[in-house]
Amino acid sequence: MDTLLLARLQFATTTSIHFLFVIVTLGLVTLLVGLQTAWVITGNPKYERLTRFWGQLYVINYVLGIATGIVMEFQFGLNWSGLSRYVGNVFGAPLAIETLVAFFLESTFLGMWIFGWHRLRRGVHLALLWGVALTAYASAFWILVANAWLQNPVGYEVRDGVAHLTDFSALLTNPTLGMAFGHVVSAALLVGGVLMAAVSAGHLIRRTTDHALHRTALRIGLVTAALSITLVQGFGFAQFAPVGSVQPTKFGGGGDEAQAMIAEWTARFGPGDYTPPVLASAGLGFMIMIGFTLGALWLLVPLLWRDWIIRLRFPLWLLLLALPLPFVAAILGWIAREVGRQPWVAYGLLPVDQAVSPVGAPAMLTSLIGFSLLLGTLAVTNWVLIARHAARGAQDPALGRPPGQPLDLRTEPTFA
Amino acid sequence: MELTWYVLLGLFFGTYLVLGGYDYGVGLSLARNGDPGRRRAALNAVGPFFLGNEVWLVAAVGILFGAFPVLEGELLSGFYPAVLGALAGVILVTAGVQLRSRPSHERVRARWDRVVVVGSALAALGWGALLAGLLQGVPRDADGHVVGLTHLVTPFAAAAGLAMVALVAAHGATFLTLRLPAADADRAGRLARRLLPVALAAVGVATVVGLLSERVRATAQQPLAGVLLPALLVTALLVARAALARGRPGVAFTATAATLALPVALVGATLWPYVLVSTTDPSASLTVADAAASTPTLRLLGWLALPLMPALLGFQLMCWWVFRGRTDGRAPVYW
Repeated sequence: MDTLLLARLQFATTTSIHFLFVIVTLGLVTLLVGLQTAWVITGNPKYERLTRFWGQLYVINYVLGIATGIVMEFQFGLNWSGLSRYVGNVFGAPLAIETLVAFFLESTFLGMWIFGWHRLRRGVHLALLWGVALTAYASAFWILVANAWLQNPVGYEVRDGVAHLTDFSALLTNPTLGMAFGHVVSAALLVGGVLMAAVSAGHLIRRTTDHALHRTALRIGLVTAALSITLVQGFGFAQFAPVGSVQPTKFGGGGDEAQAMIAEWTARFGPGDYTPPVLASAGLGFMIMIGFTLGALWLLVPLLWRDWIIRLRFPLWLLLLALPLPFVAAILGWIAREVGRQPWVAYGLLPVDQAVSPVGAPAMLTSLIGFSLLLGTLAVTNWVLIARHAARGAQDPALGRPPGQPLDLRTEPTFA
Repeated sequence: MELTWYVLLGLFFGTYLVLGGYDYGVGLSLARNGDPGRRRAALNAVGPFFLGNEVWLVAAVGILFGAFPVLEGELLSGFYPAVLGALAGVILVTAGVQLRSRPSHERVRARWDRVVVVGSALAALGWGALLAGLLQGVPRDADGHVVGLTHLVTPFAAAAGLAMVALVAAHGATFLTLRLPAADADRAGRLARRLLPVALAAVGVATVVGLLSERVRATAQQPLAGVLLPALLVTALLVARAALARGRPGVAFTATAATLALPVALVGATLWPYVLVSTTDPSASLTVADAAASTPTLRLLGWLALPLMPALLGFQLMCWWVFRGRTDGRAPVYW
C-alpha cells in the first residue's frame, strides 16, 4: 500500500463521517432556533419541551461532531503538507477565517446555551442559540469557500512554484461556490426535517405519551423536509452548468472541452491519467435517484389535513424508512464532488501525489486505522445514543433540567 | 506583520494550554476519585467552560494554517506521533466528558471516566512532546521536509511530556480548589498541594535533561531565554504552592495558569528568529518570516480577523462571568 492511497482513503473516511455529523448539526440547529423562538414568543410550554428534547439530540450530535472536525483540521497538515506548502497562502485563509470567525464563537455560545438554562434570562438564552445557528452557517460557508477553491482555483498567481493570493473576492464569487452552498445547506435542512419527522413518526407509531408534542414535531419536520427537498433539487441541478464549465473532466464528461483540458495538462504536467475514477459519476447517479425519490415527500404533505398522516399509519412507516436516504445521498454527493476532482488536490494546479506528506506508509496506515476506528466508533455511538434518547421520549431530557432535581441519580434506565 | 501573527499564534496556543490544561487536569483527577458523586462534581466544575476552552486549539491551528502554512505542514507531519497522540487524547476527552452521563448505569459512567483519564494524559503527553521536539530541533533537509519520525524519540521529549502531564494535573487540582463548593475544595486543595512538588520535580528533571542534551543546546538561539523562562516556571510553581498553603486559591490558579503558558513562550523566545531549527543542515532552518504566508494573505486575515478579536474575547469573558464563582447545588447539571 502506498502512502498516497492510504492518505486519500483516510481523507475519504474522515470527511464522510464528519459530514454525517455536520448535516445533522446544521439542520437541527435551524429547527431548534424556530422552536425556541416560538417558545419565547408564545410562552407555550410545548415548545420549551420540544426545544429541550430536540436540543438534547442536537447536543449529543454536536459534541461528537467536534471531535471529527478537529481531526479534519489537523489532517491537512498531517497528511497533506504539500497542500499548505504550495497553496497554503490561498487555501489556508478561508480555513483560518472559519475557525476564528465562526467555529470559535459557535462553540463558546453553545457551551453557554447548554449550561445557561434557568440561569440566563430567556432573551439572552435565545440569542445564544441564534448565535450558534448563524455561526454554524458562517462555518459552512467558509469551508465551502475553501473547498470551492480546490475545485476551481481562482484569485491567485504562482510565483516560485508557490501560489499567492491576488484577489480574495474571486474566491467568494467562485462559480463552484454559490449553488453548492445552497445545495449543502438545503440538504442539511432536509436531513433535519426528515430526522424530526421520522423520530416523531416512531413515537406516533408506538403510541407513546405526548401525542400532541410529537404530532407538532412531525408537522414541522415534514413541511421542512418537503420544502428543502425542492431546494436541494433546484440548487443541485443549477450546479451542472458552472461545474461543467470549470471542471470539464468531472462527472465522466468526455467531451471536447475535457479532451482539450487533458491535452493541456499532459503538456504542462507530463503524461498521466487525468480522468477521475468512474466511482464519482456512479455515486452521482444514485444520489439523483434518491433526490427524486425524496421528492415524494410532497405527497405526504396533504395528509397533514385532519391528521390523516397519523390515522393512516403507513405514511409514518414511510417516513421512518426514509430516514437513511438523505444521509446516503449526502455522502454520494460529496463522493461525486471530491472524487470527481481527481487526480488533483487543487484542480489543474496541484496533483495529489505532490500534496501528500512525505510520511512512511506504516505511520499513515496506523493513522488511517486508528482514526477510522475512532471516528467510526464515534459515529456508531452517536447514532445509538440519538436513537436511545429519541426513543426515551421528551419526559425529562437532561438538557435544561431544572437544578436541584435528584432524578439523575436513578440507576434503572427508563426506556419509554 | 509576521511578528503580530506569531504572537497571536502563541497567545492562542498558550491560552489553549491554560484553559484546556485544567480540563485535562480535572480529567486526570478522576483517576484518584472513587466516589461517583465527587467525580460528577469535578466535571461539573468544568462544565460550562469546556466547549469554550477547546476552541482555542482549533483557532490556534486555524491561525497556523492561514498565517503560517509552511510551518503548518512541516510541524504537523514532522511531529506525526506527538500530534497523533495529542489529537487522539483531545478527541477522547471531548467525547468522554459529554457522553459519560448519558448512560444511567454508574458502571458505564465509570468506564467513560477512564476514557477521560486516558485522553487527558495522552493530550498532555502529546503537547509536551511537541514543544520539546521544537526545542531539540528537527532533521529538516534542504528540500524543506522533515525526515523521519524517530527524531522525536529522546529522553528530553519523554521528560517534557511527563512534565506537561504533571503541570496539567496540578493546574486541574488548583482549578477545582477554586471552583468546587467550599466543603469539597479542601480535598482538592490537598491534592493540589501534593501534586505541585511532583510537577516541580518533573519540570526540574525535564530542564536538566534538556540542558544536558547537546541537540537542545545547539538548537537554542537565545540561551538566555532558555534559562530564564524555566526559572520563571519554577518560581510560578513555588508561588502556587505558597498561595495554596495560605488559602489563596485565586492566586494559586493564576500561578499554575502561568506555568502552562510559559512553555509556549519558552519555545517561541528560545528559538527566535527561527521556528524550526534544523539539526542536519543549518541552512534548512525555517525562520518565522519564511514560515509566514505572503503579505496579501496576512493583510486579508488582519482585516477580517483582527477586528473580531475583541468579540471573541468578549464572549469568552461573558462565559467566565456568567458561570463565575464556586459551583453549588443550583448549578445546571448536564454532565
